[in-house]
Order: sequence, then C-alpha cells, then structure tokens
Amino acid sequence: MKRAGIALLLVVVGFLLPRLLGGSTLVYDTLVVIAIFGTMAYGLDIILSDLGEISLAHTAFFAAGAYAAALLSVNAEWGAWATLGGAIVTALVLAAVLGAITLRTREFAFSLVTYAAAVVCANIASNWSFLGGSDGVVGIPALDLSIGPITLVAGTNTQFWPYAYTLLVLTIYLVHRFRRSRLGQAALMVHMNPRLAVMSGLDGQRIRLMVFLVSAPISAAAGWLYAYQRAYVGPDLFDTYFLVLMLTAVILVGRRNLLGPVLGTAILLVQKSFLSLGAYGDKLVLGGVLVAVLCLFPKGLASIRFRRPARTPAMRSVAVEKRIV
Amino acid sequence: MIPVLEVRNLAVSYGGDAAVAVSSLALQPGTLSGVVGANGAGKSTLVNAIAGWSRAAPRVSGSVLLDGEDVGSLPAHEHVRRGLLLVPEGHGVFLGLSVEENLRAVRSPPSSSVRRAFSVDEVYDLFPRLRERRANAAGSMSGGERQMLAMARALRLGPRVLLLDEPSIGLAPRLVITLLQAVRRLVDAGMTVLLVEQNVRAAVEVVDTLHLLERGRMIASGPVAAMKDDPRIIEAYLGASHG
Amino acid sequence: MNVAQQLVNGITIGHSYALVAVGWTLLLGSARLVNFGHGQMYMVGAFVAWWVMRMTGLPYLLAVPAAVAMGAVIGAVMQMLMLRLTLEQNLVSLMIVTLGFGQILEGGAGFAFGAQPQRLVSPLEGIDFRFGPVWFTAQDLLLVVATIALFLVLRWVLARTVLGSWVRMVAEDPKLTQLGGVNVALVYMGIFAFEGAAVAFAATLVAPRTPIMTSMGFDQVIMTFVVVVLGGIGSVGGSYAAGLGLGLFTAFFGALVSPAYTTTAVFVLLIAVMVLRPGDLAAGRGFAR
Repeated sequence: MKRAGIALLLVVVGFLLPRLLGGSTLVYDTLVVIAIFGTMAYGLDIILSDLGEISLAHTAFFAAGAYAAALLSVNAEWGAWATLGGAIVTALVLAAVLGAITLRTREFAFSLVTYAAAVVCANIASNWSFLGGSDGVVGIPALDLSIGPITLVAGTNTQFWPYAYTLLVLTIYLVHRFRRSRLGQAALMVHMNPRLAVMSGLDGQRIRLMVFLVSAPISAAAGWLYAYQRAYVGPDLFDTYFLVLMLTAVILVGRRNLLGPVLGTAILLVQKSFLSLGAYGDKLVLGGVLVAVLCLFPKGLASIRFRRPARTPAMRSVAVEKRIV
Repeated sequence: MIPVLEVRNLAVSYGGDAAVAVSSLALQPGTLSGVVGANGAGKSTLVNAIAGWSRAAPRVSGSVLLDGEDVGSLPAHEHVRRGLLLVPEGHGVFLGLSVEENLRAVRSPPSSSVRRAFSVDEVYDLFPRLRERRANAAGSMSGGERQMLAMARALRLGPRVLLLDEPSIGLAPRLVITLLQAVRRLVDAGMTVLLVEQNVRAAVEVVDTLHLLERGRMIASGPVAAMKDDPRIIEAYLGASHG
Repeated sequence: MNVAQQLVNGITIGHSYALVAVGWTLLLGSARLVNFGHGQMYMVGAFVAWWVMRMTGLPYLLAVPAAVAMGAVIGAVMQMLMLRLTLEQNLVSLMIVTLGFGQILEGGAGFAFGAQPQRLVSPLEGIDFRFGPVWFTAQDLLLVVATIALFLVLRWVLARTVLGSWVRMVAEDPKLTQLGGVNVALVYMGIFAFEGAAVAFAATLVAPRTPIMTSMGFDQVIMTFVVVVLGGIGSVGGSYAAGLGLGLFTAFFGALVSPAYTTTAVFVLLIAVMVLRPGDLAAGRGFAR
C-alpha cells in the first residue's frame, strides 16, 4: 500500500515536472522527447534485461510505428486512435516474422540477424516510393485523440506533454506488470538458467517469441507518437543514433531497474538539449558514456551506491541454481 | 628443510559462501603429497586457488609462497612462468589441436637445476603412446590418453611444483596404477607434486604425505605410514579389511 | 549484359567484401566477439590514409601502412578497455561496447575530418587493363591479389605456427590457455590489433573506388555481417568463399534486377539461409579452416 502511494506521488510529480522546471518551451520540448524516447527504450529494455539478448531491430519497430501513423493519417486520413492500432498491428506482424526467423538464434547470431532486419527495413524505406522513399512522409496532421464530446488535441509540445507522459506511465506500468507476470518470470528463467527452464517444462522458443511480441508494440507506440510530434517521418528514423540511445538508456542506470530506461534517456537527452556539443560531440558523448559505463560499472550507475538493485527472491534462487549447475 | 611451496591462511569463497579454509600446507622438495577427501570437500577448489586459477570467480585470500616468493596475487599465467603448474580436473587438453600442437604451443622455460623442462621428444619417451598419436587431434583420443597429454604438457613447462587434480578420474584401474607410478618416478627424479585423488587406495601406495580434507578444512595431515592407520581414513576410505 | 565484365566486377567486389571481413572473422572465431564498430573502423582507416596523403604529401602506397598502424592501435586500445569484459566472456555487454566505440569513432572523425565527402586517390585507379570486352584497373588487381595473399597468410599462421596455436587455444578454452603459461590478455589484444589493422588495410584498398564520408560506417559494415554469417561464423576459408559468392551475386543482381535493392536481396538471402540451416550458425565449428 505504501509503495502504491509513493508510485502515485511520483506519477503526479512527474506530470507537474515541466511546470516545476519553469515551463519554458525548451523544457517542454525536451521532456516530451524524453517521454517518447523513454517509451521506445522500454521496448528494448525487456529484451535486454529480461531475455538477455540484444535486439538491434528496435529502431525498425520504432520506425514501423512512425511510418504506420504517417501513412495511415496522410494517405488514408485515419484518426489517431486508428493509426495507433495500425502502428501496433504493424509492429506485431513485423515482430512475429522476425521472431520466427530468429527463434533458434542466440547471442551474437540473434543480434546480427536483428541488425540485418533493421538494415533491410531502412533500405526498403529509403527506396520504396510507397513509403516516401528518401524524402519520407510530410504533412502529418495534429494529434487528435478526441473521444465523443471530449476534445483531446495536441499541436505544440506543451499540448503534447500530457499524451507523451501518459504513454510513458502506461508503458512503465506495463513493464512492471510484465516482470511480475508468469511470462516475465519464465523469460527470466530462460535467460538465467536455460537448463532449469527446460526441466521445468518451459518452452524457451515460445517464450522468446512472446516476449518479442510484447516488446515490439511498445517501441512502435513511441514511434507512433513521435510521428505526430515531429509531423514528419523519414529514413533517418533508422539511424544508429536511436539504437545507441536506447541501449545506453537501458544500461546507464542498471538493467532490470524499473525507472532505469527513462532516467537514462533523460540524462542523455538533457545533455543533448542543454549542453549540446553539436552532432559530432553528442555522438562522442553517447559513445563515451556507453563505453565508460560498461567498462567501469558493468551493472550500471545504480551499482555504485547499492551493491545490487533489489533482487527478487525468484531471481536469487535462479542465480544460485545457475552456479550449482 | 625449507618447503618449496607454502600455503598460509588460504580462504576461498564463492559469492559469500566459504568453500575452503586452510591455515597451512607445506610441500617439501622432491616429495609427493596427496590430498584426499570426499566429493565436494573442496579438493579442486584448494589446488585451483594455489595455482591462482579458476573457471568461476571465487574470492581468494591468504598467501601462496613459491620458494619464498608470494605469488598469491599474480595471474595464473605468471604462476606457470614460475613453475607452479596445475593439471586441472577433466579437460586438460585442447581438443581442437593435435597432440603435437598441444605439446609445442606452450612457453617452455630454459631448464635449470630445480626446473627440468622436458623436450617434446623426452615426453614422447615417457609416454610412447603419445608419439604414436602425435598427428591426431586430442579430441579423438581416449580419456587416459588425454590425461597423459595433459601431464605431458605440464612437463614441457618445467614444473617446480606440479599440482595434479584427479588424474585418475574415469580411467581403468590398470591405467591408474601406470599413471601414478609415472608420477612417482618423476618425484623420485626430484620433482615436487601435490596430488588430489579420490582413489585413496591407489594414492596411499605412492604418496609420501597425506592430507585429509573435509568440508574445506584440513582435518588431518602426516606421513602416509601413520595416516594409513588413522581411523578416520580407514573408516571412510580404506574399509575395515585394510591392514 | 556483358557477362564477362560482370564476372570481373563480381570477383573484384567479392574480394573487397572478403578483405573487409577478414579481421572480424578472426575476432568472431577466436573470441566469439561481434564488433559493431567495425564499419567505423573501416571509415577511420580510409580517412587516416586520406589525411596522411593530404597533410604530408606522402604517396598512396606509403599512406597505406600509416592507416594500418593506426587501425592496429585503435584495435589494441579498444581491447585494453574491454579486457575485463572479454575475460568474463560477457558477450552481451561487449557487443554494446563495440557499438559505443563506433559512435566515438564516428563523432571523433566528424570533428577531425569534417562532413564533406572526400576522395582517397590511388594512382593505381588510373591504370587500365583491357582484354577484349573486359576491363579492370590496377587497383582492382591489387585488391584481389592482396586479399588472396592475406587469407593464405592467415590460414598458414593459424594452422602452422605457435602464435596460431595460441589463437586456437584461446578460441577453444581461454581459461585453460592460461595454464599453458600464455598471457591470454595479450593474445586478445593481438587479435583485436589484427582486426583493426586488417579493416584499415581493407579500407585503403577498397575506399578509392567510391567517395568517402565520415558517416559511411553503417553502410560499409552490413555486407561484412553477411560474409561472416554465411561463411560459417569464424571460418577463414568460409569467409573468403562467402565474400566471393556475395560479390558475384551483387554484380549480377545489380545488372539484372536493380542496384537499389541489392542489399535487401542479400539480406533476404541471409535470412533464408538462417531459417533453412540454423545449425550453420553454431559458433566456432569450422574455425581456422
């Protein structure tokens, strides 16, 4: 009960954060992008932290969500709720195909294939005129989530904040629930101790596929909102920058840390917004942070103060099992 | 006599659980010492820690003195360079390399009065079976042959002290005797060996001193003649019929 | 279509794929490491050669060793920083770190060399050989010969020398290698220095064919993925064959279907292989062969 109270307080403070920080346009711009990219990072987080694999295809899921929103709203004039559905379905289809292909691959083979998939998607996006080719898709309308008489429209970043924030909070809640769910526990066991998982009758391949299907729509939803926020999508969405941003955000604070990805994203984007060193400098910073954290504090910044961010009993027993086997 | 190897207050733990705590262990030059104990007593953990080597990531404290120099904090390959050699339990050879490659791809030191580095031909003379199979991949050999090869590799490195971890595991009884006799001959020629064995019956026939390890602690040590009559050894390992 | 000419183009491109991939092949086979900074190392190799020529006026053939040396240093420094992760075989973190190195190299190169496309000029590009309907340049010839030579030398070193034995030992069991008195950290550093030197060497030979940009790393590396995977993870001979095969595929697909979708076609091919024969991806199977 106490924990729920703290969580609620955090949610409220988070919502008021832009106003607490002065409410300038730059603050809103930065926080909206943090919320969107933070959401994107959570998609990768459950693959990296819970499944223990590195998916390099999450830029593709992110871009798929953005492209779905752009094409459906511009060409088919669908409303924002419908394009959200479209974005999620697109991501699910993509994830199902990719998941089936990578079902039996592990570690670097998995990463290579997901990377290959991202490259193929980027290649198609910049060459296929249906997707706007290298020019991308412009003229995406303002976000309109009105339900019946309730008007919910967002044009500027200040207006965007409630929607971006809601998406982020829902995502964090989803990830929290996922980690306590049967699927989340099973994924962790498949990751930490595949042999025990097999002995416990878990189907590793099915679990990996399921986790993939949970993960992809999260990044796609972030892409969906990003398309409206930027009013433009293009092949630049596949840039490695997004990928490295996501990965850094996840590992920066510490894996399997519920607020880790959003805090990581925030640290990185605040640097980019307020202490930018130009495109090259930002790349240097991002890469440097990534290398420094993993080489110096492989368990993330949270491990500096605390030995290990709260391990659940389930995880401890898995770890012990692993050592014995 | 000054011991060639001395272990003081050695403690090894895995993730907070103490596995081995040995307050002292000394090896006299030119002797064969045996460490015996039940499965899980910490025999392998002990010799691995002496060699500064492990497949896991244990926490090790205490000191290991080789000819008076504390080598405890050095990386494993530095132990090897100083002549403190370990033939680990099980896979002690590279399966993808041929017998000859296994023997040649080591850093042989120059031979000295206290460290004799065997040439490839000399180890072939010692283990003729290896010469016959010199071009074969180690992966195609039997367990006994692999064990010979692992020991031959260690001899190439000029052991000052040789730590053998369960060399007889999985071998036919006749091979065990052959192998232990080969070890005895090396010791008679001046080498110092610490032998971990669960085959106590075979071990007592060759060793000079015997150490009994139980739950990570050395509960009895002494010359083999005396230890043979120790009731704990008789009861647990040799059976009532002995002597 | 001029079949003979496409054949020559395919062979040239194929050798360039194989040469760019050779360092990574060794890395993957011996240390099970994937280097996502590989493309940026390629880019830096090309730019270092360009910069040396421009700043010192040295001829192309002397700029090549300068770039190779720089590549070896970059590789060795990377490995020094990653040593702890390598010894722990923390493959997941290692992969991410290499991505970070790629970003650092790209950002650094942007500062050092600017955003403008440049040309690494080789005098050998100007020398043509013509045989009836077929032509190629001296640069193409050098590329093919150098690639074959490097692959043969690598195979010889791995199969016949003590150094090669150490690399194979580290590949099979790094822990056990320590018990042979070998400093495993140094072996890893050597492998990484080779990776860096080899990709820089490849860059100096391949880059004169196209303009160079500091952002080209991402595109340059993608064929390397396919080569190392199709070649059978870590297999030296397999990488050569896969590189050559892909070169021919690229040349004919580009001529017959569409150059724009070549990459996509190659990746579809890769995915097809993965789905049909996933067993080939078991690491280290044919290493050093």
